[in-house]
Amino acid sequence: MMKRTVKIWLWAIFGGLLSIVLIVASLQWSNQNVSELTRHHNSQLSPVIMIPGSSATENRFDGLVSEINRHRENPHSLLKVKIMNNDKLHFTGRIRPGDNEPVIVVGFQNNKDGYSNIKQQARQFNVIFHTLVSRLDFNNFKAVGHSNGGLIYTVFLENYFSQYSNDVRMTKLMTIGSPFNFNERSIDNKTQMLSDFIKNRRKLPNNLTVYSVAGTENYTSDGLVPLVSVAAGRYVFQGEVAHFTTITVSGSNAEHSDLPENKQIVDLINRYILHSKKVPRVRQNEPRLN
Amino acid sequence: MDRLMAHSMKAYQSKFAGVIQETLALLFPIMLLGSFAEVLKYSFLTPSGFVATIFGITKWLPAAKQISQLLGLIVHCTVDMIALYGAYGVTYSTTKAYGRQTSALSGAIGLLAFLMVTYQPHSHGQLLFNRTLMGQGLLIALMIGYIVGRIIVTFEKRRGLRSYQIIWPLLLVAVLSIAVNVAVSFIRSPEVQSFISSTVMHAVSANALSYVVGMGLLTDLLSWMAVGGPFSANPTFTDPAELANLNHALKTGSAFNVPFQYTDVTLFHSFANFGGNGAVLAMIIAILIFSKRRRFLTVSRWSIFPALFNNNYAMMLGIPIVYNPVFLIPFLLAPLVNMIVAAVFLALKWIPAAVYPVPAGAPGPLIGFLGTNGNWLALILGAFLILIDVLIYMPFVKLYDRLDQNRGEQ
Repeated sequence: MMKRTVKIWLWAIFGGLLSIVLIVASLQWSNQNVSELTRHHNSQLSPVIMIPGSSATENRFDGLVSEINRHRENPHSLLKVKIMNNDKLHFTGRIRPGDNEPVIVVGFQNNKDGYSNIKQQARQFNVIFHTLVSRLDFNNFKAVGHSNGGLIYTVFLENYFSQYSNDVRMTKLMTIGSPFNFNERSIDNKTQMLSDFIKNRRKLPNNLTVYSVAGTENYTSDGLVPLVSVAAGRYVFQGEVAHFTTITVSGSNAEHSDLPENKQIVDLINRYILHSKKVPRVRQNEPRLN
Repeated sequence: MDRLMAHSMKAYQSKFAGVIQETLALLFPIMLLGSFAEVLKYSFLTPSGFVATIFGITKWLPAAKQISQLLGLIVHCTVDMIALYGAYGVTYSTTKAYGRQTSALSGAIGLLAFLMVTYQPHSHGQLLFNRTLMGQGLLIALMIGYIVGRIIVTFEKRRGLRSYQIIWPLLLVAVLSIAVNVAVSFIRSPEVQSFISSTVMHAVSANALSYVVGMGLLTDLLSWMAVGGPFSANPTFTDPAELANLNHALKTGSAFNVPFQYTDVTLFHSFANFGGNGAVLAMIIAILIFSKRRRFLTVSRWSIFPALFNNNYAMMLGIPIVYNPVFLIPFLLAPLVNMIVAAVFLALKWIPAAVYPVPAGAPGPLIGFLGTNGNWLALILGAFLILIDVLIYMPFVKLYDRLDQNRGEQ
């Protein structure tokens, strides 16, 4: 009987020591976890992440960004990320402290056209995105994809984005001249890519707002991509995301490759994608119009 | 208490109770193996598990993923299929209890009947069985096995069956199993299911105090019947009320005054589920201190490790608590007292609500502590409640010792 009491006490002491270790270790973890959660939850950062089309580099949107920043006292900073074929990342530029709406442009060493390359680029974009989320700690962002960039975003949303769905929200996506059915002039000939997009459309986030912008040189095409192919995006997004809006732009600079510098489209990005209020720069001797 | 003892004596000695107890005893070692594997897999070797998160095990242990997969093998073949063994065991014990020689063969027939009930006819030729019934259908397996056992016994009594003549009861069992299978597929058909889920889902989002306490008790009661209850085994922290709580706490920097004060996490998981459903950790402590029963002591010692991580399967079958009318009372009473005391503390704002995420497989008393991001009063309250629970379990544990003494004298 005596022996049993001693045994119980020994076990109780052992249990007590184990509890203290567990309590201290887990408390440390919990404090760290909660402060991380707080920072993430209260983060004001909401970047615009842009993906250019095939054959373009991370410098593709330099013109667009300087156009957006024209006459702004609080310009959006520009960060560029290039991913090599071995998934190594190169960063250029920096985010100005206090800038809550930086522009991040990604570029791929493999920037070739074709569905298999697009899938590869989407996988690589996921690598970039993962790094960006963990480094910058934002909880929402806006997306712009020119040409194939819009297709890369679609692959990314349908195949990779669900893993972030609790932490990060894509609020808006603007695709500019994205050929959802490649160069097909008829919706009856669905490419493999479009079929895949339609098959997996249920995985698209249902709180997303999508703008699909098409350029037009004539009534049927922007000189490179058939209008029908851009319009095929509706079979992917319409009814699946919260809002899907299609916009057709014509006039000067409405040719496929000129679209990112098109005045109308810069205006659309300012209006629909960017949120931070423009503080106009006032120069001396410049007449101010109200 | 004496009347309770008299009743339990009677129940204790009935043939049916004997059959159930023998079956559960047969399941205990299998379930113990399974619960060790489950705790190691989900708490130690899964990146989101408690021990893995705190000590970073998956980061430094080589081949952690492979070991976890191998442990998964054990879990799937034990915990996830426990009803299979139950069907075998109960048919075997039934025919044995009613005194026939064919019991081993009958066990196989009981197993066959259960497999036929759980087989999914629309599986396109693949061998697919109903996972829910396999893992949580112990009650159904026991019923099926018992009926099969009685059928075989009845046939035997009439004819004095030899083993090759068992084909007739076997045919009858097969026909009955097919009928049950059809009935089960009807219940599982989309129309019926959507009706059930729409009524259940609706209720679970409510968060009144009485509702949470009621659902907690229902979970415990169903787990006593070896059926899955409305509350999950681990706090999920993902339903709308929890997310609203978390967002509020992150915004204001404090877990007091959250929009949903009484939820399954803040009351049930944080304070009423130490060692799994029924605050079984307290029962283990009560047995280790007060009991002299060999079986209880052995089972409790083996069950400490899984119970520390809220896995009570081994205790449920080893004692057994399942279908045990004596232990049903403290099994419901202890969590009930815990939830009410915790609700009082919450209502008086002595402790904040547990809103911050806690990794899966955290020891019961730590869930409330970590969920409040280290509120010491919450930890002390947890320890105090375990003490109360030990006192609640004590008379029932002692009752069994007296039961043994009485039986010895008879």
